[in-house]
Amino acid sequence: MAGDSQQGMTSGAGIFFDGRISTRRRVQVMLTSAALQIDDADGRLLAEWPYTEIEGLSAPANVLRLGRHGNARLERLEIFDPAFAAAIDARAANVDRTGGLQHRQRAIAIGWSVIAVAALVAVAWLGVPRIAGRVAPLLPVALEQKLGAAVDLQVRNTLDTRRAGAAFECGTGADKAAARTAFARLTGELQGAAALGMPLTFTIVHRPEANAFAIPGGHIYVFEGLIDAATGADELAGVLAHEVGHVAHRDGTRAVLQGAGLSFLFGMLLGDFVGGGAVVIAAKSVLQSSYSREVEAAADVYGVDLMRRAGGDGRALGAILARIGGATEPGMKILRDHPDTKARVATIERLSPAGANRAMLTAEEWSALRRICKD
Amino acid sequence: MWQGDDALSRRRDVARADVRQYPCAGMTSLEASGTGTTGGVRFLGGRGAYGRLLARGAVLLIVTLGLYRFWLMTDVRRFLWANTEIDGETLEYAGTPLELLTGFLVAIAILVPVYAGFFLAALNIGLLGELTGIGAFLGLAVLGQFAIYRARRYRLTRTIFRGLRFTQSGSAWIYALRAVGWWILTALTCGLAYPFQLASLERYKMRHTQYGTLPGRFTGSGFGLLLRGLPMWLLVIGPLALTVVVFVDSVDWNALADGVGQGGDDVMGRVEGGNPALGEAIVFAMLMTALSALMAALLYPVFQTVMLRWWTSGLRFGEIEAHSKLRIRHVYGAYMRFLWWGGLFTLALTAAAIPLLILIGVLAGKMPDSGLGDIAASLVGLGGYVIAALGYSMIYRATVLLSLWQLGAEALQLSGLAVLEHVDATGGASSPLGEGLADALNVGGY
Repeated sequence: MAGDSQQGMTSGAGIFFDGRISTRRRVQVMLTSAALQIDDADGRLLAEWPYTEIEGLSAPANVLRLGRHGNARLERLEIFDPAFAAAIDARAANVDRTGGLQHRQRAIAIGWSVIAVAALVAVAWLGVPRIAGRVAPLLPVALEQKLGAAVDLQVRNTLDTRRAGAAFECGTGADKAAARTAFARLTGELQGAAALGMPLTFTIVHRPEANAFAIPGGHIYVFEGLIDAATGADELAGVLAHEVGHVAHRDGTRAVLQGAGLSFLFGMLLGDFVGGGAVVIAAKSVLQSSYSREVEAAADVYGVDLMRRAGGDGRALGAILARIGGATEPGMKILRDHPDTKARVATIERLSPAGANRAMLTAEEWSALRRICKD
Repeated sequence: MWQGDDALSRRRDVARADVRQYPCAGMTSLEASGTGTTGGVRFLGGRGAYGRLLARGAVLLIVTLGLYRFWLMTDVRRFLWANTEIDGETLEYAGTPLELLTGFLVAIAILVPVYAGFFLAALNIGLLGELTGIGAFLGLAVLGQFAIYRARRYRLTRTIFRGLRFTQSGSAWIYALRAVGWWILTALTCGLAYPFQLASLERYKMRHTQYGTLPGRFTGSGFGLLLRGLPMWLLVIGPLALTVVVFVDSVDWNALADGVGQGGDDVMGRVEGGNPALGEAIVFAMLMTALSALMAALLYPVFQTVMLRWWTSGLRFGEIEAHSKLRIRHVYGAYMRFLWWGGLFTLALTAAAIPLLILIGVLAGKMPDSGLGDIAASLVGLGGYVIAALGYSMIYRATVLLSLWQLGAEALQLSGLAVLEHVDATGGASSPLGEGLADALNVGGY
């Protein structure tokens, strides 16, 4: 046969385990035209493996370990002579002594993994906010309020650092009746103009920061610092109108859904290799702040429109933003969750209709409301 | 009969000497192993080959955001198994990456509804919500232990030695409940129950482990491990206990209770006023905690050595008995190698990061409004973190973990090996679900 000269040796020594018992047998291996033949020391035939069924198995360097594919019995043949191993490799297509076949298979797997990662990132970037935006309005109000109650508990725990409990809220005292009435009138005007299918709850709390935020279920928190920073009822109303925008757009629920979606995509499917946790957190915060920049801009638009319907001055939102937002914001742009203040103020100015507006509260009402948190 | 076997196996070894070629110089003394009744375990793998395998794996892990881990895990096991030689014959790891991937996907299919259920239940505030939280924690702890047991079964049934596979029976649920019970007990006893936990759980595992028809068992005693570990436990827990004593002794508890009980703004101020000794006690507590942490770090290699020696010395398969002569200084040597390579890696990282950061600074200075500098800086920061975390983890695997495997294996002296010539095969391959669950729950091992 011409093949013999190319395919080298046709017989050699090996170690054989028959897969029934752990006995180690020294064997003589013969390479016939279609099969590998294993004989024991006395020349008895122990096994005959067609070349097409032979597979190479994991072994230390310089040892060729062979088995028979699809055999429930773990027959093993070990060849230690490199020349004879090469001769078997040349005959059996599934023996992968040099690892070339494995490299090709692995390259395919890696290629698909990279594509899968790209698809995942695309879904996280474009798909998750859209899905959350579609799903959030479909959730029944009752479910959203339950979600809101759970979030509310956490929010209280985080904000109420001094554990003041009930005293954490402003305007609970008997002497604050006028302030409460004024606040109720202001929020009532906004609620009436907004006409959402969900009752709104406004709570003023003792916090020095000039801030307000909405959580799922129509609950809006207003900080003492915001009332201090406002120069008039319209400015306060402007910020509240912006927050009502978040409620109307169901942004809180969307954020919860988006967070869950991103956690699932990055945390669960990609698993946790070392350093993976950081990638997940970083990807989440970058993506979430990018969603949130669009959301804030939409809430500004809603807020200005709501102020118009409630009969207030939408530009007041721009004025207070310009004051409390400051000229330059520290922090990195891609992590900033509110759009650039200058751009926001300009948009608000552009959207606000010109002309005189009636003030949202009388001067007396406003001066009562201003002291709602003071002793 | 035994005599005859000995003679036979000796002849076989002489015969093998001319057949077999070893990859590493210095490992050619075949007489050292396979004398028939007693023998050793050798590790044939080279550090360089293992390091290259891990380095390539780390790069591919980053590129595939971690999906490559199933392939890397399989490569690592193939390397470790194939290079571990027991009585002249190496182990074979027969698992495949696709099995691990499938197991992971099945685990995801099971865990996603479970997580979703917990999420919905947690929305119910009040008692039910809190119960759900505790229940979820306990449930996941049990599931994690279940996964550990089933993952062990997967690895054992993929371990082939002399044409026979290892098998594991027993109930993963019973194991999981026992393990969680033991963990609670260990936590309640500040770790004193830990040796008994290890012994009990290992007995359960080994009692249900077989090599072919050869039954395994574990003879290590929890009390023996406790005696060896107690000095270390005292050195680590001692400073902390002393802190508690000093606190109880020096603090005026009534004044402290008054100070805290009044509420309001200046709690700390009043507490300090009522307790002049409190400040000193806090400084003492911090020093003692640091001492305890230092002790824990310095003694950790000793702890690992004692554990590994105790564990491997307790392993039995039929008449085969293992005895470990692992030395503490060798394990310290492994940690020294980790510090050396870790230091080199730190230098290399710093050397690469500085010019990159300067370049970004220059670019950001030229285009201050574009936000490009921000993006580049955060990308470099994130990339640096991932590379550093992966790098240190891989160096740890290539130094400490590889050395523990190698030292633990080579320190073993096995007796009763003659039985290895007559073990019958039994059992089949098990499902990879346990591995998948362990991966999804982050409790995986080797």
